[in-house]
Amino acid sequence: MLFKDDAVARKEHNALRQNVGWYRWTHDLVEFSGSGAGQLLDYLCVNSIAKAGVGQSKYTTMLDEKGKIIDDVIVTRINENDYWVSILYAPKLILRLAALKGDLDVQYQELTDQIDMYSIQGPNSLKMMNDLVDNSLDGLKHFTMEDTTISEIPVKIHRGGFTGELGYEVYCKLADSKAVAAVIREIGDKFGAVEPTTLEVYVRSVPMEKGFALRQDLYGLTPYECGLDWSVDLSKDFVGKEALIRAQEEGLKNRLVGLEFEAESYEDISQGEAVKRYGVQVGIVRAAIYGYTIDKNIGFAIVDAKVPFGARVTVGCNDSPAIVTEKKWL
Amino acid sequence: MPLKDKLSSYKGVKTVWGKMIPEKEAYQLGCRQIAAFSANLFQVMRILEPDYEKRTSAICEIANMMNMSVASTPEERGNYIKSFRDEWNIPEFCEQSSWLGGITGDSGDEYEDMSGRVIQFTRNRVEKELDTCPWDIVGSEMCNMTTAMFTANFDLNSANGIENEVAVNMCEARGCGDLHCRVVAERRDVYNLPKQGWLDHMNQPVDPVHSTPRERMVTAGQCLRNGQYTNAFGEEKSLEWAYRWMMENGWTWSINFPLVAIRDMAVDDDEFLRIFKIVFATAGKNAFIDSFAVAGMRTWMGVPHEIGWNDGRLMGGYIKAMLDVQLVPNELVRFDQNEVRICIKQEDFTGRFAMAPIDELITGYEVLWHNMVKTMVSTEWSCWFEGVDEELLTLVVGCKVDKRMI
Repeated sequence: MLFKDDAVARKEHNALRQNVGWYRWTHDLVEFSGSGAGQLLDYLCVNSIAKAGVGQSKYTTMLDEKGKIIDDVIVTRINENDYWVSILYAPKLILRLAALKGDLDVQYQELTDQIDMYSIQGPNSLKMMNDLVDNSLDGLKHFTMEDTTISEIPVKIHRGGFTGELGYEVYCKLADSKAVAAVIREIGDKFGAVEPTTLEVYVRSVPMEKGFALRQDLYGLTPYECGLDWSVDLSKDFVGKEALIRAQEEGLKNRLVGLEFEAESYEDISQGEAVKRYGVQVGIVRAAIYGYTIDKNIGFAIVDAKVPFGARVTVGCNDSPAIVTEKKWL
Repeated sequence: MPLKDKLSSYKGVKTVWGKMIPEKEAYQLGCRQIAAFSANLFQVMRILEPDYEKRTSAICEIANMMNMSVASTPEERGNYIKSFRDEWNIPEFCEQSSWLGGITGDSGDEYEDMSGRVIQFTRNRVEKELDTCPWDIVGSEMCNMTTAMFTANFDLNSANGIENEVAVNMCEARGCGDLHCRVVAERRDVYNLPKQGWLDHMNQPVDPVHSTPRERMVTAGQCLRNGQYTNAFGEEKSLEWAYRWMMENGWTWSINFPLVAIRDMAVDDDEFLRIFKIVFATAGKNAFIDSFAVAGMRTWMGVPHEIGWNDGRLMGGYIKAMLDVQLVPNELVRFDQNEVRICIKQEDFTGRFAMAPIDELITGYEVLWHNMVKTMVSTEWSCWFEGVDEELLTLVVGCKVDKRMI
């Protein structure tokens, strides 16, 4: 929970938005390899993974047979037949794979306990990265990865992140992690980089202002209900495709929207709180946080697709007033 | 115009007279039932040990020890951490140190209908604020005891797995009359704080707290408000799951743990039982001392007018409802003007948490209900268990004369 008068959180937020910040950002990591790896990932994901070039990444969702999101991940093509899936629920993904793999030539293993990752985010992140790594990253495009070194330690740099700002992710071996962190800290100090300690700042506040959602916001909805139409490739087969097409034909039942809370704070709003319009429940809250750039209490909610933007609603047991908005503020 | 084929179905407890107690109300009642038993037990403790510090330290120590017993070896600790992180989907980027203990504390609070919020959750500081607590009737020794359990949560999640890195303070507690309960854990190395003893947990934190104004407070936990609990990392537990968890674990931490220490406060078992029975008898006699309490209960259970005021079925119906609320399997085998009989497997009644059965539940409820019936119905009526040493218990509400009845 974040409050507008939290000076520490505001400072950390502003550093990421206006300058640069860095933090350990290790996710679960699953490596897929083999000649059938791209095909299996294409079947698992709504986005076209096999079309990605070597070094390219794609954001995608994975669906169940009903066409509902069960997870969202970043898939990076490391080599011709090797892919990394960055995910927060690796054990659950691996449980599913055995049933979906079939006869494909695919091996998969979790690398979470071998690879660490640091995120360097903010408008000045490129300047800091160019001081940090042993070559220039000026040419590295969004959602691409390249091999380089930091103080001669081999690392992979991925341009991306979960802030909506210019940002980079540094992958290194776990054994090299402390050494890499030490260099990042040293270089970061030169740029006034902040290492945020408030999880909700870099997991929720900064990303939400830019419309970045977590799996826990998206699950149970179709990609269309989340505004992720752009990520769906209907020209290939994937788990949940038939149900998704049917759902698209029937029209949206719900949609993920933004909420702007009008009260000073949101202590009575947790995930799952009822959203009511004219006293009748039309949805549930998926997240609430304070956004320090826009200086508002904001959130995500799933509401009946008929509820228009601008609709006045009440939320939770104290009928906290809120307005339905687009789910992106910046 | 087509009609519905049938009514919708909802979960709940049905009284013997057919009145439905909705699932959420049953859950709340269940929590309060455990808290009330706990409040009685703590009265026993206060008689046995008049020194506040001594008795509080004793229950703190045992509560901490019992919580730590889930991981008494390095291997067990490793397994605990792994299963803990998997269960709550704690991301790899969350450093393994004491602050993660706040996740256990928050979920437990919500299952126990201690409603509130995590105000702050950082590696250096965790602040949890509660607006309600069914256990607030027990008293401040209980509030202290919960800090000992939090200490165990922080110990188990510490970087070394043995000793936490924080100072834990319940700087406000509803059991002390405060508006909120508030627990703050601050890293000792960051805030320059000393290691604490069991009675050092009621201090104020270094950083200022955030106090939720009355108009933003909540009156029920997430499960009751929203049908589920969701933690910070998106893991969810349903109301049904939390209810079952509560009826299993609530007895363990709030009865079983302190009971170990309280028994030791008596000179012998006979002395413990003598005082235990007197306290529970008093509580039972006072439960329905006012006629309007009986009238309210009749309405709540849907008792028809033809059931008179001096009818043991009132007590039988009440006990049946409470057993059902507590999720204790039972069978009503007789329910007439002369007698009520309810059969319960002994292991179901005492072993709510199967690994740690509480035999005192039989004595406690027998004495409580025997005295409750005196004011709820009349002194002609008694309540007792048959088959106390057998697998099948029978709870009887009937008339009995005993020239030394108390």
